[in-house]
Amino acid sequence: MKFLTFIITLFAVASCCDKKSCTINKDASADDSTVVFHPPRSVQTSVVRINSTLQTWSAAQPWDKSAPKKRRALGALLSDNRVLTTAEMATNVTYIELENADSTRRIPAKVIAIDYEANLALLEPDNGDTQGFFKGLKPLTLGSPAKIGDEVSVWQLEENGMPLVTRATIQGVDIVSSFAQGHYFLTYEVKGSMQSSTSSFTLPVIRNNQLLGLLTSYSAKDQIIDVMAPEIIAAFLADTADKKYEGFPSLGIAISSTVDPNFRTWLKLSDDVGGLYVTRIRKNSAAEKAGIEKGDVIIQIDNKDIGRRGYYSDANYGKLFWSHLIRGTHKVGDSINLTVLRNGDEKKITATLARPGKRLIASHTFDQAPRYLVKGGFIFQELTATYLKAFGKDWESKAPLNLLDVISSPEDYEEGRNKLVFLSATIPTPATTGYERLRNFIVNKVNGQPIADIPSLIKAFQAAGPDGLHTIEFAHGPPKTIFLDATASDLVDTELINRGIPELSRD
Amino acid sequence: MIKPPFYAALALLAPLTAATAQQKNPLAPLPAQTSALTQNNYGSIIRIEAATQVPDYREPWKAGRFSGGIGTGFLIGHNRFLTNAHVVSNARRLLITVHGSPRKHPAKIVHIAHDCDLALLEVENFMPFLGLTPLQIGNVPKLESQVRVIGYPVGGNRISVTRGVVSRIDFNTYSHSRSDQHLVVQIDAAINPGNSGGPVLQNGKVAGVAFQGLRSADNTGYMIPTPVVKRFLKDIEDGHYDQYVDLGINSFPMFNPAMRKKFGLDQNSPGVLVASVTPDGPCDGVLKNNDILTAINGNAVDAAGNILIDGEKVNMNEIVERKFSGDSIQLNIIRAGKPLSVSCTLKPFPPSRMYAAQYGVKPRFTTFAGLVLQPLDRNLYAAHSFTNTRVRRLFTHYVDEAIFKHRKDIVILTRVLADPVNTHVSGHVGTAVKSINGEKVTSLEQAHALLHPKDTPEFFIIQCEGIERPIVIPGDQAAEASQRTQTNYGISTPSHLDQ
Repeated sequence: MKFLTFIITLFAVASCCDKKSCTINKDASADDSTVVFHPPRSVQTSVVRINSTLQTWSAAQPWDKSAPKKRRALGALLSDNRVLTTAEMATNVTYIELENADSTRRIPAKVIAIDYEANLALLEPDNGDTQGFFKGLKPLTLGSPAKIGDEVSVWQLEENGMPLVTRATIQGVDIVSSFAQGHYFLTYEVKGSMQSSTSSFTLPVIRNNQLLGLLTSYSAKDQIIDVMAPEIIAAFLADTADKKYEGFPSLGIAISSTVDPNFRTWLKLSDDVGGLYVTRIRKNSAAEKAGIEKGDVIIQIDNKDIGRRGYYSDANYGKLFWSHLIRGTHKVGDSINLTVLRNGDEKKITATLARPGKRLIASHTFDQAPRYLVKGGFIFQELTATYLKAFGKDWESKAPLNLLDVISSPEDYEEGRNKLVFLSATIPTPATTGYERLRNFIVNKVNGQPIADIPSLIKAFQAAGPDGLHTIEFAHGPPKTIFLDATASDLVDTELINRGIPELSRD
Repeated sequence: MIKPPFYAALALLAPLTAATAQQKNPLAPLPAQTSALTQNNYGSIIRIEAATQVPDYREPWKAGRFSGGIGTGFLIGHNRFLTNAHVVSNARRLLITVHGSPRKHPAKIVHIAHDCDLALLEVENFMPFLGLTPLQIGNVPKLESQVRVIGYPVGGNRISVTRGVVSRIDFNTYSHSRSDQHLVVQIDAAINPGNSGGPVLQNGKVAGVAFQGLRSADNTGYMIPTPVVKRFLKDIEDGHYDQYVDLGINSFPMFNPAMRKKFGLDQNSPGVLVASVTPDGPCDGVLKNNDILTAINGNAVDAAGNILIDGEKVNMNEIVERKFSGDSIQLNIIRAGKPLSVSCTLKPFPPSRMYAAQYGVKPRFTTFAGLVLQPLDRNLYAAHSFTNTRVRRLFTHYVDEAIFKHRKDIVILTRVLADPVNTHVSGHVGTAVKSINGEKVTSLEQAHALLHPKDTPEFFIIQCEGIERPIVIPGDQAAEASQRTQTNYGISTPSHLDQ
């Protein structure tokens, strides 16, 4: 009962404020943390609804798209008719459109820049009456970094276009991965109680009438709202300015903490230093080029002491994880200074930050249609994390072991390969008689040629042996080698097209 | 969504310990003379009560779980009682009761074969059994013929008889060891917990031993057919059970026309592809990958790897199934287009036991400064359900990638018992130990020796596979920490290394 009254009150507040004065309405509610305190008009004029239709590709039948999904969110209107939202709203989209607050105007949109790692995307109208759509709308400006304890408001819209504003308090900051797995960025953890409403997949978060960040997730249980920090948004926007989007830099190392006192004694670390133990260096990374070695202990980055757990003291936020010093405060091409201990001796190292190098198995393949080849009924694909994740929630135990091994130890498979090609399934055809059960086999060679990726596989299949047979060699098997009749498989290929496979390959 | 391969779950017919609350319907009394069996024959079907002690592979220093169960057995000769291995596995005490008598006779295991789920028991004093007629072992029953299952299943204390027909004769998994496949006869008579080890009778003779069921299907009981029983009895004639032998090859059916063309086989020529040969197995050095196996001991092998015995198509392994260690097998092959005749001598292959469940053995382990190390095998895997990809890979490819040749054991760090000396070790549990102080770990005994050297090093450096950051235990604190964790965690024996 009480809840119901509260909702009604909130409506009353909103509509009253809509007219003019916008101070806190004292009659509204005893619990003023839910009271509207920002000019609601700016909610309606500075946010736009984003409607996305998303489609991913089928893992089992890579020529097919899966059933479309819809997502609706609120984007922050920026200058020059640009709209900021999260990458999650703009990834794998088949169609994306903008809609104004009261749903009277719509316009198709396009993605002009997207960063899957930082979970940000910038949209622009694509054809249509741009002037008409943006008439009367007022862009937001990006605000400056907040402090722990600051009050912010999260903007939502009711179905009818009425604003819904939640006041919340920044409780902490952390480095969080919100979309592409394994990429961590500065995020505010904000305490506040949100309600469900339309277009709320992601929402603008406002402080002092300026855009502070975007909501990336909300936990109803803990009432914690994760908000992308303005520093990251600023870096993203700056990168988009020259039309050539580069992305956030990386150092290319994996680390382990040095909390364990025995480990510290063994590393000859004195009590007054912290330090991060370098466990892995990615090939062709900034770290490799700068000469950082496995087993080094990083004790300073940009003259900031790194603690035993990897935290440094940030002037604004207090304790922050070291990776923010790389990814959140620099851009590609910047130099950073590191102090490392190698066998107990201090060394100064300067690293030039770069984008992470190409990997055998990319951390994500958003917006990329899977590459494949169908030959005589065999379906060959390039292994991606997306493919393995299609095995479901428990993919790390359910997916085929030999393919999981590639993800966990890619260095064992990198030689001679750009990507890892494997036989993902076998369609029963006259050419694949007896091979129906073969699947998830890693391909080494076809017709004697080493297979580095799908294009090289396609090329290798163009030269069958003199006996009219293709020879396919797998990494493990059994069987390790199988044969496919060239003429029969070509006939099957034609038949498969007749049966509705739109393309036999995608490279 | 990709569907993972579907495996039919074979459920073990484990004897139940206590009678559960079951609905008891009064049964109509058996007509006195309709059965070919006399009172005497019922007498030779005995009830076996096992008190077991099941080792604890999670905390291997513990005594384990004391429990027990009921099964069935039958007399096959003078003081020879046949039953299932799983009825008497891990038994500490065995008691035999005869139908209609309250007396319990202490018994013991003479031979136990976990790979075919059979065991032979004897009683301390055979005198009370002297009047009983042993059951005769018959042949494999025909499809659709009637059989009777007699035993002591759950639902009551007295003997129970069910009837059914033979519905399938097939090669199938024996769930007791989890890794062996032999001939199995499926019947549609109800086989319930407690029936295990009991005879399946046809024309008054034993047609098989009831041993497992299928949880996901109704009316599917499985029995061990007499060729398997006879083989077991023959194997133990020399006083020792030698286990089954295997060719140690993977075959691949020659159905594909391109494949047949490549190997020069016309449409009707026999032969199956040798797709892989187990390293150090009986055929290592005899067969090669891409040989075409055309005949085994004179029986033509078809494209699917089947042979014809007694008018029935059966898997070619059926030839090997009936052989013993030391027997020779003649193989006709085509290698690189040329026919050849080769022979191999069958022998047991100990590394494959990695995949067989072990019974009646004490788990091996060692402890060091709160770290618990155990060798990887089926039992350990079942107890810990490892998720680490490296460990799963080592387990899966232990035999086919010949890992056994240089690593007798895959030593796993299964537990870290928290102690001041190891409190910050994290993320290492459930991984394989790669090296200790720079030495590659090849067996549990060796790992134990490396952790307990004569001269204490400054540090013990333990590297786990896939984790770069080593575990570091200061040498001068190790012994004290070992002592402390043993006391605090009640570890009565710090290690058990013998097989």
